[in-house]
Amino acid sequence: MKNDIGKVRNIGISAHIDSGKTTLTERILYYTKRIHAIHDVKGKDGVGATMDSMELEKERGITIASAATFCEWQGHEINIIDTPGHVDFTIEVERSLRVLDGAVLVLCSVGGVQSQSITVDQQMKRYKVPCMAFVNKCDRSGANPFRVISQLREKLGHNAVAMQIPIGLEADLKGVVDLITMKAVYFDGDNGENIRFEDIPENLLSEATEKREELIDAASMFSDELMEAALEDAVTEDLLLSAIRKGTLTREMTPVFMGSAYKNKGIQPLLDAVTTLLPCPADVENRALDLDNDESEVILSGDTGNPMVALAFKLEDGQYGQLTYIRAYQGNLAKGDTVINVRTGKKVKIGRVVRMHANQMEDIDNIAAGYIGALFGIDCASGDTFVSPGINLTMTSMYVPEPVISLAITPKDHKAEINMSKALNRFSKEDPTFKTFVSEETGDTIISGMGELHLEVYIERMRREYDAEVTTGAPRVAYRETITRTAEFNYTHKKQTGGSGQYGRVAGYIEPISEEEFVFESKITGGAIPTQFIPACEKGFRNCLAKGPKMEFPVTGIKIVINDGASHAVDSSEMAFQAAARGAFLEGYGKARPVIHEPIMKVVVETPTEFQGGAMGSLNQRRGMIVGSQDEGPMSVIEAQVPLAEMFGYSTVLRSLTQGKAQFTMEFATYKQVPKAIAEELIKKAAEEKKNVA
Amino acid sequence: MLKQDLIFRNPMRLMGHETEDILPAGGFGAVLARAGLGKTAILVQLALDSLLQSKNVLHISLEDPVKKVCLWYEEVFRNIATQYHVQQIDQIWEAILPYRLVMTFNVDSFSVPKLEERLAELTEQNIFMPQIILIDGLPFDETVRASLTDLKSLAERYSLRIWFTVRTHRHEAPGPDGMPAPLLNIADLFEVAIQLSPEGKDIYLKALKGRHSSSDDPALFLDPSTMLIKDKSKD
Repeated sequence: MKNDIGKVRNIGISAHIDSGKTTLTERILYYTKRIHAIHDVKGKDGVGATMDSMELEKERGITIASAATFCEWQGHEINIIDTPGHVDFTIEVERSLRVLDGAVLVLCSVGGVQSQSITVDQQMKRYKVPCMAFVNKCDRSGANPFRVISQLREKLGHNAVAMQIPIGLEADLKGVVDLITMKAVYFDGDNGENIRFEDIPENLLSEATEKREELIDAASMFSDELMEAALEDAVTEDLLLSAIRKGTLTREMTPVFMGSAYKNKGIQPLLDAVTTLLPCPADVENRALDLDNDESEVILSGDTGNPMVALAFKLEDGQYGQLTYIRAYQGNLAKGDTVINVRTGKKVKIGRVVRMHANQMEDIDNIAAGYIGALFGIDCASGDTFVSPGINLTMTSMYVPEPVISLAITPKDHKAEINMSKALNRFSKEDPTFKTFVSEETGDTIISGMGELHLEVYIERMRREYDAEVTTGAPRVAYRETITRTAEFNYTHKKQTGGSGQYGRVAGYIEPISEEEFVFESKITGGAIPTQFIPACEKGFRNCLAKGPKMEFPVTGIKIVINDGASHAVDSSEMAFQAAARGAFLEGYGKARPVIHEPIMKVVVETPTEFQGGAMGSLNQRRGMIVGSQDEGPMSVIEAQVPLAEMFGYSTVLRSLTQGKAQFTMEFATYKQVPKAIAEELIKKAAEEKKNVA
Repeated sequence: MLKQDLIFRNPMRLMGHETEDILPAGGFGAVLARAGLGKTAILVQLALDSLLQSKNVLHISLEDPVKKVCLWYEEVFRNIATQYHVQQIDQIWEAILPYRLVMTFNVDSFSVPKLEERLAELTEQNIFMPQIILIDGLPFDETVRASLTDLKSLAERYSLRIWFTVRTHRHEAPGPDGMPAPLLNIADLFEVAIQLSPEGKDIYLKALKGRHSSSDDPALFLDPSTMLIKDKSKD
């Protein structure tokens, strides 16, 4: 293993579902000689693309887990993280973006910038990942890479500039013209492995010159030297490339490449660009939080001589136990080292260190700063930080959204039950947005996550990978309760039934807040409630939050202030004050006009204009609030806010409404109050369920 | 703070329209200014004034994407709320949002028949019935009269009030009555016209046409930090 950090690239390939990123990755692995045959995503040969290592992914033709894989190109070591394209799996995308230094945004030359590309782009922005774009599927009918470039500018606000122009389009796609070298590039051989450079065809010369001018214009913003050279007509390839790289690293420019992965066109120039334009780990500043210093930010040096800091970003259950994908940010993580898992504080001895190539692996001795590798036999959760003994740093915790949907699952038999618990344990370690618990009332196992598809995939994985057959209940929405106005309470808990009595009085008020889930404040003066019982009061209030008095949903957004009370020298105890607080809560809560809140999703529908009315109507029927519609030529994008409870099965409805031509994405937006009529229905339903359980 | 209180405090009230609408049903209003002076800010204040009165507003932008239009509303609303010390703004905001719908078109693809088609879809399915339409970014060139005439008949049929932003240019001389060039031959279609004109550091609002075009014009100007309408005499 080499150790030239300047020649390392950790890149992600992010895109909309079906824009062909798995095919692209497959071709990259073929040209970098990591695999020796090409298989299609939905392969007729039954093998499937190499990156989609999970059986389920192969069947559905989608990528679920982001397998990290390694390859070499022109002396550079490239780690590729293949990321899932569906919004339900965005935690995977976000996690990969966290460990990446650069990304290739794959776009379909027909579909262009679609809603998922927008989500992925926002995530890239959040983690400041420099990126370039690849307009794929230029062989498809209706292909128009320049329309995609203008969409990149208009919809995503990228300063997107073409680095190539296509030679022919649709079925006539023959190759590309490289605007840096001003040469036509053709891809010969059965699998496009032989590259042939020619002069630019006569009919494309003027277009190529014009586009090159545009490229130089855009790039000269980042280099005075280039600007001067452009004025003197003395632009060199190196000068131009270094200016483009500068713009790319600061995310002020997005170079755009084009081709067709399926037809083996345009991949090698893209790989060249990954090595020349995207950053190496040393170009990127990574920060950690110092736990010994009030979580202040520390910039990691990237030096292999310094203490080691590494982040476990993905877990996989392999044949030989748990495989932990890890990225080293500083220092050197070597076989035989003893490191510390910062979350648990436990010492861990590093056994086998490997480099992954989809589902095959290669043993290595160490993972140096900037590199991505995998460890065997380490017990940890995804997102854990490992450090050398003596330091206490943690990588910035990733933003993890709360689950919005849950589902009861029941194993079919005893064997399934054992396997199910194994699977759930694994999944909840792998994916922080996937949670599981046992319902106290019904005894059912509940799984919760970010959307219908998210949970469906895990149920499928349980069946296939763990041989655990389960039956599922109807999906349940994560409702919440809160109050809408301030109310006072003054409650005395008094009990004298022989033995020592119980006495405590708690008074104060309860009010709604929007910034936090729960705030407790004591304004007790003069010892009305003795200091030692205040924590018991807080505990009493807190215990009421898990199940709201109105509908037994969790209570959020409330502030409780206690300002008076009374105690008894003998009969007051922690227990008495906890009970008093519970009584006070019930008293105040009832008067504070409690309401139910439901998760509202931001739904974006992309539809041909002729179906716009129908699509809008379907959202409207689902209690959706249409925020706006954007006309984009033949397509129209509708943005709406719709309660999650109304979105079950929407994909089928939308498909049938639009002859399958529309698609939608959905992500959690906010919690909002449930309308009165719906709330009443919920109450009725809950009462019925209770009756059935009883 | 109730929604009602905010209505009485919102900056549009400074324009002297205490209770009634500025435009009659079927009426046209124009906000004229050179680029970058705050036409959209005025339009959004007009919209918020109506939204606070629970009137449905359809905001059509031919320049900005939906997201940017929404940001304008959030920004102006927040400024109004801060200016007038309104609490519980989240609740008021939630309450007015369902009355707003944003539509964006490319300038080239926008046409009156297309708008009519969209309106029909919205009203037939009972999705949204606009009472006020704002059109931001319509180019006022030679051909605009035809579109405006069509829009006028649409406005009359649906009893709509339509506001337009009109971009003026420094090099175009106004007409003899002071009417800016883009409105010269079409002023008859408009009931109200307000011009933003910079004088020194300030941007003043001048009523070119409408009820308050007389001399008792209040000295209204746009506060450059918040883009809200303010009354200089009460400053």
